[in-house]
Amino acid sequence: MEDFLHSIQLLNYTVAAVALPLFAAFINFCLPVKSKWAGWVSTIAILLSCVLSARVFAGVWNNNPVHAQHVWFTVGQTEVMAGLLLNNLSVLLLLLVSLIALPVHIYSTAYMAHDDRRSRYFTYLSFFCFSMLALVVVDSLVLFYAFWELVGFSSYLLIGFWLTRNKAVQANKKAFIMNRIGDIGLLSAIIILFTQYHTFDIVQLFAQKGLVAQSVIKDGVWIAATGQMPAIWQYVACAGIFLAVAAKSAQFPLHTWLPDAMEGPTSVSALIHAATMVAAGVFLLGRVYPMFTGTELTILAVTGCFTAFMAATIALTQNDLKRILAYSTISQLGFMILAMGVGAYASSLFHLATHAFFKCLLFLVAGIVIHEMQHVKEENNLDIDAQDISLMGGLRKKLPITFIVAVIGSLALVGLPLTSGYLSKDGILIQAFEWSEGKSVLFKLIPVLALLTSWLTAFYVTRLMVKVFFGEFRLLKSYPNAKLHMHDGGLQYKLPIILLAVCCLFPLFSFNPFSYGHAWLFSGLTSLGNHEGESIYHTIIPVLVNIISVVVLYAAYVIYTKPNGFKFQQSGFLYRLSYNQWYLDAIYQRFVVKPVLRLCSATFWVDRNVIDGFLHLLTRISGYIAKLTAWTDEHIVDGFLHLMASIVQSIGNFARRFQNGKIQYYLYSMLVIVLVLFILKILI
Amino acid sequence: MISLTDFMVVSAALFCIGLYMVITKRNAIQILIGIELILNAAILNLVAFGKYDKVNNSGQIFALFAIVLAAATTAVALAIILNVYRRYKTIDPNDINKLRD
Repeated sequence: MEDFLHSIQLLNYTVAAVALPLFAAFINFCLPVKSKWAGWVSTIAILLSCVLSARVFAGVWNNNPVHAQHVWFTVGQTEVMAGLLLNNLSVLLLLLVSLIALPVHIYSTAYMAHDDRRSRYFTYLSFFCFSMLALVVVDSLVLFYAFWELVGFSSYLLIGFWLTRNKAVQANKKAFIMNRIGDIGLLSAIIILFTQYHTFDIVQLFAQKGLVAQSVIKDGVWIAATGQMPAIWQYVACAGIFLAVAAKSAQFPLHTWLPDAMEGPTSVSALIHAATMVAAGVFLLGRVYPMFTGTELTILAVTGCFTAFMAATIALTQNDLKRILAYSTISQLGFMILAMGVGAYASSLFHLATHAFFKCLLFLVAGIVIHEMQHVKEENNLDIDAQDISLMGGLRKKLPITFIVAVIGSLALVGLPLTSGYLSKDGILIQAFEWSEGKSVLFKLIPVLALLTSWLTAFYVTRLMVKVFFGEFRLLKSYPNAKLHMHDGGLQYKLPIILLAVCCLFPLFSFNPFSYGHAWLFSGLTSLGNHEGESIYHTIIPVLVNIISVVVLYAAYVIYTKPNGFKFQQSGFLYRLSYNQWYLDAIYQRFVVKPVLRLCSATFWVDRNVIDGFLHLLTRISGYIAKLTAWTDEHIVDGFLHLMASIVQSIGNFARRFQNGKIQYYLYSMLVIVLVLFILKILI
Repeated sequence: MISLTDFMVVSAALFCIGLYMVITKRNAIQILIGIELILNAAILNLVAFGKYDKVNNSGQIFALFAIVLAAATTAVALAIILNVYRRYKTIDPNDINKLRD
């Protein structure tokens, strides 16, 4: 009984936590566009959500999952249920999302304070929080799909928030279309799963001994307790899920929308495109994990690994501050997918959680830097790009607190000890090596590539940090007279970044800073993945990774701090490949966008000329037919009547002539008639 | 010897002349003369065919009646013409068309 009441209470808290941001979004929608209160409405809502989420988290974590559902609607015999599912995975994400959203909201109240449409901004932001929180707690694939679409939609709104900028509009279109591709995949996967299992319920489908776990593939037939179909459909469903994950979590080949999505406000990039929404793909994988076995997992691992490596190489040469962070996000998401692929289920979600904190932190730092650069630009009327790191430098003296938290965030991203990133990233690398053991050489390549990627990460992070915070302020070289009024900003800036910086350190996740296995978060999620076995990798990998990382870090520091020191050649093939982002945008432009546009103009032409032409022809034909009918009516039907009339008239006229009152004429007529009669008589 | 045919021919000629006058003349008096001519053609026929009734001479007698009647009708017609002239100041029958519809 007590258990029952307890779970009812938890469910109520969850509903409140999810609904509060929606309520805030509604209030903000009703407020005037320039309202000062909008930010605080949203912030208070998310604060309450955060507190409630923490309460729910405390109640559910490592306890029995809470699952409640109601009949939503009935189609024929099938009852579709809707409800909430609170297990370790969903409460973790619930807490994570609200916890990340809180500092971002506080930060946004200052960051967007001078925007003309700030109430709209907070409407969208709260709406996003609602969608994301709902996404993680729903228990039905249909609802999941609905909120999946809603997070995509709110992301679309926020990327294009500055709707007068052409680039922002292009970027949100790109993001939306790319995500549509994934949505199609998810939708078809849901349809296939429903056809096979006759339910949308995530618990029934994906539980430990659920329907998916019990189904088998035998002789090319996919057999489940509820029916069977050709095995190909199982692969199609997996491919659909994979597509959805790749689109939402920006994996190769659907990752190109994420760097462009940085056109939105930086606080949005921090929340949506670094910490939460892009993690939805990984979360989806976590939900449907039992579907993936054998080859499918390998495909995930290969894709994740390749994406991580590719994005890291691109991040090496970019000059746009936010773009570097975007590619770094793609790279880290690649790590998470890789972890899923190698069976490191818990590590993947662990990395998701730690990454959310440090990447959000780095984006907020980037926001402050860009904000200050923007001030300098406006104050001095300079024609510069406020996000270009080649113009920055030496900001550690101007923005001391920002610098310190940025260092903490960067170290976590690199994965050095004492930070959260170390715990999660090494977990992934170690399990990747364990996974490849006993497999062929090609499989061994995956963990090696991942290792290489983490060193590349160390390099590009150092390059970013040095270019922004160390050395001299390079802007002064081009504009020596520029006045610099830069500072860390008010409490609304400082508080969130300090809060997030604390969350990037190890004590939040584990009291043992050197072993990921002791992290509470990791052990809470290991139930689904494989358990770690003690092996030599547990000591070799962290040591190897960190020693070389530190070396790389130092090397990069030296390279970039010395103004006249070693310079990289900026014309080689590899440089161009990296700088142009592996030419993927150009390839898509040429092989996808252009043919599609050409197809569009071709169909437009067909529409214009063939279909419209046919219609015009029909119009003309019916016009002619109408004219013909009109002519017939006028000349034949009316003509017949007129003919009758005129016959009658002429008969009348003819007869009238004889009545002219001339007596001699009468006589004459009589004579003629008599003569005619006689002639007739003679002839007949 | 004058044969019946000759009488017929003369009679037909008279009839035709009379008919022509009746139809074409623009003077009521002349039309009346035409009518007399037609009447005379008919009387001539009666007389000519009277040779087939030599006992009673009904042809000759009927002709006499017809002449008397013709004289009477002519008197009436002349009276009408006189009245018409008084009323219309013309005796052209084409101008007197008040009787038409």
